[in-house]
Amino acid sequence: MTDQEIIELVNSSLAEEFELELADMTAETTIYDDLGLDSLDTVDMVIVLEGAFSFKIREEEAIREIRTLGDIHAFVIGKKRQLEAGL
Amino acid sequence: MNKAGRVFSRNQRVYSPSAILMNLTVYPLIVLWTLLGILLFPPAFLGWKLVTRWDADRIMRHFIWIYGRVWMLILSPFVRFERQGLDQKALATPAVLVVNHLSFFDTYCMAMLPVFDISFAVRAWPFKMFFYAFFMRLASYLDVESFTYTQSLQAGDQVFRKGGSVLFFPEGHRSRTGDLQRFYSGAFRMAVESKIPVVPLCITGTDTLLPPGRYWLQPAKIVLRALPAVSPSRFEGPAAHILMRKEVKQMMTENLEELRG
Repeated sequence: MTDQEIIELVNSSLAEEFELELADMTAETTIYDDLGLDSLDTVDMVIVLEGAFSFKIREEEAIREIRTLGDIHAFVIGKKRQLEAGL
Repeated sequence: MNKAGRVFSRNQRVYSPSAILMNLTVYPLIVLWTLLGILLFPPAFLGWKLVTRWDADRIMRHFIWIYGRVWMLILSPFVRFERQGLDQKALATPAVLVVNHLSFFDTYCMAMLPVFDISFAVRAWPFKMFFYAFFMRLASYLDVESFTYTQSLQAGDQVFRKGGSVLFFPEGHRSRTGDLQRFYSGAFRMAVESKIPVVPLCITGTDTLLPPGRYWLQPAKIVLRALPAVSPSRFEGPAAHILMRKEVKQMMTENLEELRG
């Protein structure tokens, strides 16, 4: 998957799960203030991303630092590349 | 629909004689009843406690239910209340009750339920209304915005252990369009983790009575329908609450469409 395909899959998965408008989803969009997600939603977000990308990320510390959609994109791209490299 | 059978929509502002009479009488009576309720509360609470020996939060929840019933009585010359599927035996308790949110009046309409022992899960702002906050805290309402999820879960468990139910508005806000908004997961996670069934409730008509952003009341027909309880045991895995949330939302969407014709 290219980076762009990963970004599109992240956005479409979150848009479907949280009933968001794709047009409102940019890298700068904050997940709490702009998208209106709460702390429980971040748990759901992890489950949705795990389902979409077939990996396990719920134990990853870096998830706690996520504030924007761009952070999610970077995290998922990094994780995919890590898995592809067999790390 | 008012008692004469006329149908009003949420976007219509009605200045009929009955609507004018309604606004002139309902608001003063509600203020009067609220003040009277606050004054009567201390002796009534002590008397009830002495007679029943119930826990303070259960007594408070009963009083809040009675308070809501009197609101309904005040509104009853102008509003028709219809209950569907609200047989006390059919309504599983304890339960996580979830209801769609259309109006400020929705909370008072929960007095249409045949059970009183309900702790509301509410956001932080209602706890800032000084004339309600004390009573809400005494009734062990859940301040889900200020509590951590673990605190909410523990508070919910305490209510369930005593046979009570917890009520959520899973949309979090009143709908401005009448359509269901996205559902937050809290209610469903609580149901799955506490192994308590979810009872979906559908309410219509309160957005005609008083839509968000308005103060002008208008005659309405309010219907509260209870749907069959959904057991958390049917959902498994880490996404159990998400699957349950989606199924309950689908049930509510279909029933709200049916209720609105």
